[in-house]
Amino acid sequence: MFQQRVGWRWPSLSLQTRLCWAGFLFVLPALLHLIVFKFYPMVEAFRLSFYKYDLMTPPVFHGVENYKTVWNNPLFHQSFWVSVKYMFGVSVPEWFLAFALALLLNRGMPGRPVIRLAYFFPIAMSQIVVALVWKFMYNPLGVVNTLLGAVGIGRINWLATEQSALPALILIGIWRGIPLFGVIYLAGLQSIPKEYHEAATVDGAGPWQSLRHVTIPLLTPTILFVMVMSLLSAMKVFLNPLVMTEGGPNGTTRVLPYFIYETAFAYHRMGEAAAASMVLFAFAFALTLIQLRLLRRGGVE
Amino acid sequence: MSSRALSLWGGRLLTILTIAGIGVTLLPYFWMLSSSLKTSSEVFELPVRWLPREPQWSNYPAALSRGAFGVYFFNSAVVALAVMAGNLLVCSLAGYGLAKFRFPYRELSFRAILSTLMLPLEIVLVPTFLVVRGLGLVNSYGGLIIPLAVDAFGIFLMRQYIKDLPDSLIEAARLDGCSERGIFWRIILPNCKPALGALALLTFRDNWDQFLWPLIVASKDTLKTFPLGLAQMEGIDSAAYHEIMAIAVIAMIPTAIIFLFFQRAFVRGIALSGLKE
Amino acid sequence: MRRWLVACLSFVVTAALVAGSAFAQTITWWEHSNPPHNNYSKELVADWNKTHPTMQVEYEFFAMTPYFKKLSAALSTRSAADMFTVIDTLLPSFTTKEVLAPIHPEWLGYKNLDDMKKAYLPGALDGYIHDGKLYAVPMIAATFSLYLNRKHFQEAGLDPDKDYPRTWEDIGRVGQKLVKMQGSTMTREAFDFAMHSSAWTMWYMEGLTRQYGGSILDPAGKKCTANGEAGVKAMQVRSMYVHKYKISDPTVSLATNALPADDMPKGRVSMFITHAGSVAQFGPKFMEDVKVVPFPQVNPRKPVSIIYGFALAVNPHLSEAKQKQVHELIRHVVKNPKEWYDKTSYPYPSANFLELPGMDEARKTRYLDVFIGDIKTGTYVTRTAYYLEISDAMHRAMERVVLKNEDPKASLDQACKEIDSALAKP
Repeated sequence: MFQQRVGWRWPSLSLQTRLCWAGFLFVLPALLHLIVFKFYPMVEAFRLSFYKYDLMTPPVFHGVENYKTVWNNPLFHQSFWVSVKYMFGVSVPEWFLAFALALLLNRGMPGRPVIRLAYFFPIAMSQIVVALVWKFMYNPLGVVNTLLGAVGIGRINWLATEQSALPALILIGIWRGIPLFGVIYLAGLQSIPKEYHEAATVDGAGPWQSLRHVTIPLLTPTILFVMVMSLLSAMKVFLNPLVMTEGGPNGTTRVLPYFIYETAFAYHRMGEAAAASMVLFAFAFALTLIQLRLLRRGGVE
Repeated sequence: MSSRALSLWGGRLLTILTIAGIGVTLLPYFWMLSSSLKTSSEVFELPVRWLPREPQWSNYPAALSRGAFGVYFFNSAVVALAVMAGNLLVCSLAGYGLAKFRFPYRELSFRAILSTLMLPLEIVLVPTFLVVRGLGLVNSYGGLIIPLAVDAFGIFLMRQYIKDLPDSLIEAARLDGCSERGIFWRIILPNCKPALGALALLTFRDNWDQFLWPLIVASKDTLKTFPLGLAQMEGIDSAAYHEIMAIAVIAMIPTAIIFLFFQRAFVRGIALSGLKE
Repeated sequence: MRRWLVACLSFVVTAALVAGSAFAQTITWWEHSNPPHNNYSKELVADWNKTHPTMQVEYEFFAMTPYFKKLSAALSTRSAADMFTVIDTLLPSFTTKEVLAPIHPEWLGYKNLDDMKKAYLPGALDGYIHDGKLYAVPMIAATFSLYLNRKHFQEAGLDPDKDYPRTWEDIGRVGQKLVKMQGSTMTREAFDFAMHSSAWTMWYMEGLTRQYGGSILDPAGKKCTANGEAGVKAMQVRSMYVHKYKISDPTVSLATNALPADDMPKGRVSMFITHAGSVAQFGPKFMEDVKVVPFPQVNPRKPVSIIYGFALAVNPHLSEAKQKQVHELIRHVVKNPKEWYDKTSYPYPSANFLELPGMDEARKTRYLDVFIGDIKTGTYVTRTAYYLEISDAMHRAMERVVLKNEDPKASLDQACKEIDSALAKP
């Protein structure tokens, strides 16, 4: 908590220095919290990755063995690719569909408030509820198969068939992500002053050209934000595989966070889990950097 | 085809797609509500029943009695509200400091703060747990709340928003002899309402259904949050979907209310924060 | 003013905490979830609490899958309960790390461990002994047996008392008369294995493999032998109902059901292999339509079945006085084997179990003979500290064969590779 200083003045210091300190003090609580609960655990995780630790007996130094073990573990590689498939399988459609949604809602449409509400409802649903409702809907005897059956498609065991389990989860990810990123795009669209579009129309631009040359360039920061956030949040997904498939069948939905959780808490190999975590972090870091670079080149104001 | 006809058909197609989209979006909700009112055998009846023959309102009290759900919901509320309050306070403090002040390593601090967004909890779950244990906070409300009380996203949001506030306001207050603390409480915060609103909503929603962290930190039944209660219920008797759905419906009420009543403020808050790099 | 208020509050809170702890000590008890079992445990706790006002028991239970993960996390931070229920398969992962307190038979009323062994069925304590010491006290001996739906048999013109399957091939033959199809979709399975849990998969596979003369791990628990001849035959049996006999279809059953025996009461399957506790889970009404017969065999003249159990273990970080109290609690919990059986339908592995008063009736009406028979011919799964990794690998192998019709040998080879690399880690 920000300290109560009644009547404190720093008369001997210049205004500049005083403001410097004040700024730092404002940021201090957040920094302290993040150091204790984010940076330090991060460093600890890095340190643990060089030890063998089973949670119950004291850690034993192990050098880079954990990294070697992780690298040689086919289950790790499987999980890595499952995560990559999931991340891009969810994010890329989100980028386009959320944008389309925002464009749609930005037009004057009758019943707009109602439509808006309907699209935004998935944001209000808790993660665990999403997982349980969809698990229920994907049951071989459940709604999804019934609807598909009406169109003549046979009964598929969505969550227990290797080819369909991950796509089933990806669909949920998209379903949940579109409203959230749609809101963000919508907010971005609404902050573009009308004058820009009007000027473009005056210059003879049609709707597509207006989109390409006015809207998108102006929206680039938002687009960048959505791209980065959607990938990062897809990378973190954990609850759905945990509750719905336990990483199966045959590991086809075992995303990397799940692999880490399992290795740490079920198999009691904390050091290996930490090593795998470091790989995941490095991947996320690299991915974000690449995205920032790519889009910076695309011209951010 | 003339461009007018094209746009007419385009408009119709759009309407159809919109309605279809709404259908897909709302299907899980409808299914959740409908199932919560069915009997246990109707739930998996073949062919699928869309609506219960007779709404089983008794599912709700029955479901609630399957675990100490009163306590669980209370805990979820406490966690959500406390984490929300923590975020609102600390993130706006930090956002202000980063937006309107100059001090050495300011940009570095900001980037470091942002980098924590890349850390999913699962990666640092164990070390964070060890930290919490070291602080003696395991199995307590403190352990549930404090580690979540600050998130870089909130700092980011507030910084973006505060950056756009006019410097003149602040300088005028300084000239009037206002203390820095006073400026924050009396000038900055009141002008941040849309962003604070958006942050409050998002933080509440994200923390209302905390699952993983309470799973690790809380073992006392009296500390569990409702997702743990739900998972437990499903793990024990996953065939009791009608009751599981009843709890799910109840769990949706707070966030649904918030979104129904505050969605406009929410969108404005995000919009006005600009989200520029 | 504010500071004074805060000081007052803290004082009151601290006083309350201190006073509270002086009034009543608690023993915490954790268990996995199993509705009839948990209900009985709660009754036992209520009983104890009435007669022990200064040493109250707090009882918690958790869904099975997260329970053991949570237990290990808690043991690592010394925040585990004072007493907790463990399953025998996971015991080695705890005993090898010394996170369980050795049990003192003297505190349970026995002279020593040998004396205690005599009070139990032969071999019943073996699953809980490590390095010559006992680490948990069993309260349940569970075994797998075959349950069949009498009505379905009768409707198909079969006599459940004469025509019930004794071997795995029998199941295939009989099943073909019981399966129900609608066009090419199966609407009722004749038989299925539970598919939701790697623990169940291990039990099935170990049982089958041992019937063929092999086992999943070598006797020392150091190498995977599941891909030997016995293992391959076992996997073929495991998958033949789907692919060869076509009496089983994973899309009919709630494959992810956590109470796997829910398909039976709902009539979705005619025959099912489950544990003795299902008698209580199904309830007396449905049990009227059920017949329980021994675990199917490859060779009925040399029967082998599988057993597992739940036992009570003690937290090693307790003071000696507290440990003694926990032993008292253990005595209280296991003092009435007949009641355990009545309420949970799990047999208790005491030596004189069948001779207890009232058991005769149970033998006639509740298939006790079947269960005890299967317990007598049963073996525990090979002890290993890597149980979860091994069972996950076997489960994946099973999924590949059953769901994708992969070749059993290839699938087991892959599983053994995974298992051997897990075993090789220090």
